[in-house]
Amino acid sequence: MSNKSYEEIFTDFEEISNHYNRSDQYFDILYDSISSTSIAKTPSAENFSVNTKKSGIVARSFLDSWKEVAIEASGDLNIVKTKIPKVSKKGNILDEFDGWSLNKEIKVKIDPANVPIEEKIEKVREIYNYVKNVDQRIIHVKVSYIEYLLERIFVNNEGCKLRQVIPRTRVFLTPIAKEGGVVDFDYLVKSGEIGFEIFDLFENSVLDQAVKNSLEMLKAEAPPAGRNTVVLDSHMVGLIAHESFGHGLEADQILRDRSYLKQHLDKQVASDICTIYDTPSIEKKIGSYFFDDEGIKAGHNILVENGILKNFIYDRRTASKLKAIPQGNGRRESFAHPVNVRMSNTYFGSGDYELEEMISEIKEGVILIHGYFGMEDPLGGGMQCTSKKAYLIENGEKTKILKATALSGDVLDMLKNIDAVSKDSLALDGGTCGKGSEDMVPVTSGGSYIRAKNTLVSPG
Amino acid sequence: MSVERLEKIEAVLKSKKIQEFEIYFVEKKIFETIFLKDKPENERELYDFEYFIRILTQKENTTGIGVVKGNSLEVNQIERNIDTCVILSKINSSSKYDFPSKVNINPIDTADKAIISDPLKIKNDIAEDLINEVNQQKDVVPTFLRFRVHSNHSYLRNSNDLKLDAKKTYFFIEFSLKAQENGKLSEFWNEGYYKEKKHLNLNERVSGWARKAKDTLKAVEPKPSDDAIVIFSPSVLKQAINPVIGVHALGKAHAEKISRFNIGDVIASENITIIDDGLLEGGLRSNSWDSEGNPHQTTEIIKNGVFQHRLYDQMYAILEEKQSTGNARRAVNGTVVNGITNLKIAPGDISFQEMISNIKEGYYIEQFSWLNPEEVSGNFGAEIRNGYYIKNGEFQNPIKLGNVNGNILEMVKKCVYISKEREFTENTLFPYMAFKNLNVSS
Repeated sequence: MSNKSYEEIFTDFEEISNHYNRSDQYFDILYDSISSTSIAKTPSAENFSVNTKKSGIVARSFLDSWKEVAIEASGDLNIVKTKIPKVSKKGNILDEFDGWSLNKEIKVKIDPANVPIEEKIEKVREIYNYVKNVDQRIIHVKVSYIEYLLERIFVNNEGCKLRQVIPRTRVFLTPIAKEGGVVDFDYLVKSGEIGFEIFDLFENSVLDQAVKNSLEMLKAEAPPAGRNTVVLDSHMVGLIAHESFGHGLEADQILRDRSYLKQHLDKQVASDICTIYDTPSIEKKIGSYFFDDEGIKAGHNILVENGILKNFIYDRRTASKLKAIPQGNGRRESFAHPVNVRMSNTYFGSGDYELEEMISEIKEGVILIHGYFGMEDPLGGGMQCTSKKAYLIENGEKTKILKATALSGDVLDMLKNIDAVSKDSLALDGGTCGKGSEDMVPVTSGGSYIRAKNTLVSPG
Repeated sequence: MSVERLEKIEAVLKSKKIQEFEIYFVEKKIFETIFLKDKPENERELYDFEYFIRILTQKENTTGIGVVKGNSLEVNQIERNIDTCVILSKINSSSKYDFPSKVNINPIDTADKAIISDPLKIKNDIAEDLINEVNQQKDVVPTFLRFRVHSNHSYLRNSNDLKLDAKKTYFFIEFSLKAQENGKLSEFWNEGYYKEKKHLNLNERVSGWARKAKDTLKAVEPKPSDDAIVIFSPSVLKQAINPVIGVHALGKAHAEKISRFNIGDVIASENITIIDDGLLEGGLRSNSWDSEGNPHQTTEIIKNGVFQHRLYDQMYAILEEKQSTGNARRAVNGTVVNGITNLKIAPGDISFQEMISNIKEGYYIEQFSWLNPEEVSGNFGAEIRNGYYIKNGEFQNPIKLGNVNGNILEMVKKCVYISKEREFTENTLFPYMAFKNLNVSS
């Protein structure tokens, strides 16, 4: 299968799919292939790895529950008919959608496939060599580059015949600084549905700033603990939108009776200046795609509008059960992983404040910069989001730099305490998201600056 | 079947006259049931394999290492993979390296024969037992549950005639149990891998989950303290120790000058002894050989608070003129990295209950939302998800929310108690440990 053309794969899949009658049962089959190149450099080693093409197939049917079988691409496709039985009169359990066709390949400015590996390695070495020589206090540098080319071919017994080819690249830089006994760092990451031109984003001035950011951490003090007025940058805003809030909107958690947001549909969940979206159809972001792994077209989901909760996030199963329209959020990490309800690009809409204006109005507060990690609490609605650094705000001005700072407490309290949103254009940061600690999918999250009163901060 | 596939790759490597090569081939089977509440929602089966080829090009002072990953067995694709790997090895510039030679390795048992022979039946039987145990619990309900059986067979060959293979079986469970009372909700949500069936211990484990879910209903935010005694559960300790102590103990961290540890230095309290044990019976990462074919062994990292030995893979052993300690691990992209195997901490001399009795005021942390300390600095801050406030030698009330923060490298110097009891959590066998001078905020 891995050496077949996509037309041949479509033909094979349609033959299998036609074996199952939609009026009796829903059936779909997905071909998943990923090629990647990763290059990482540290002081003592260079790790280069090329994944020429890891491919597999997963087929499933909804009987009273999903029955699913996955094989690597060279396996015998006949296993699908052996493992997934034909049944009758189970077709109505899942809502039926009109079949559609798509064959889309994202074109990037500089296709990594056309760039010799030597050139990619040289770019990584250039960044490494530049950064390690900027300042003697930089004791360690790690630069990593990864490019993916994802191909997914989807057929179901509703007539879907879909193919998408999506390139994604990511560069990650960590300069570690040391002075006396203090060791600390900041990091720089860029990613997107872009090609080799990603390296254009790493001009010397950008690298100088990355080093400066790490060196500045050497002077960072412990943040205060207690309730404060906080300003959050787009990274932190994204963590709140995705981790603390978005996971509670995933409709599998609603079916499980495991979401604090189940009772809040059409009710106020945030201050009325807040609007929050999940949009897989945004172009060129690492969380974007044309269709999800259930053949649903990527859409635009308004989750919160003027503070009112408008929608949950659905896959086929949960949308059927909850009588909603899915927007393309049924995603797999790969053929080897199940479909789960997942976010894509999740973000706060912009407001009408200038950042300086937001800060100038604060007598005592903290601005949290560079979201580092966060954790969901879909049942309890608790918030744990940690920034890599922060600054104290005193009498309307940013003053001392602070170490990693955590936000905690009740997320709805925090959202209702938002009293300013900046007018900055949308900034989205890429990363990967797990369902629990596995089933990783690429996502972005972000927004513009927000300010919230009476929010719990502590050392992170 | 797998041996034939492996030999096909080896034959192509030899036909291309590649001098220094390694093939790592792994066949994977997974059988899973995902429950929605207490009803099966998804029954999954996966049959997969993949291989990694590494090729070396020796240079004057460095070695070029090429790595490719694939799962195509078409000869022309294998040839292309090898050609790519050769190119990578010619450009790569890593510390001097060669593949391990063939040595006698005593195999250890890492697979359950019953799982190997019928993994689907074992999965179905245990999943049924698990949901039955859950349904017997009073005042809690499951919101979801995942149960999975893994069965892997891995093979390693290199151009030094090294030929190894090993089977491994293990389980995965993720679940959430929810309690509800007077409109209040709480849950105990956890996940993890379990190497042995006996570690599942479903009866005791599930009733423990239920108790924790119910206790959390009554949880309040902890009383703040800037000088707190905090007991970490074995699973919390894993999240604290592995990424910090585990990393600073590596040969790589020393070679790259980010390790804070010098041999002979006091780096922990006198009561702490930590061992890396690649042969640990029941350890998730136990195997008789590491990812490049060196034998696994037992290496004392810290003895009575004093740093004893670093953990080496082949590359950093050569760089620092040491012997490998069997601490090579295979990364997802096929590269080999220096890493821990299983860590165990020597037990203390008091029981967990006695430990609590000795504490006038303190906190017990069963679970953080996510303890994710910075590897290099050791700094951490994490929200309490399930825990207890200790007053006058007993649990006073459950706690949640609020943060515990500190520094792992400093914390291990302030260990006041270690329990006799130890528990497996994936690749650790850890006791309960109490540390002083931590900060609790709420």
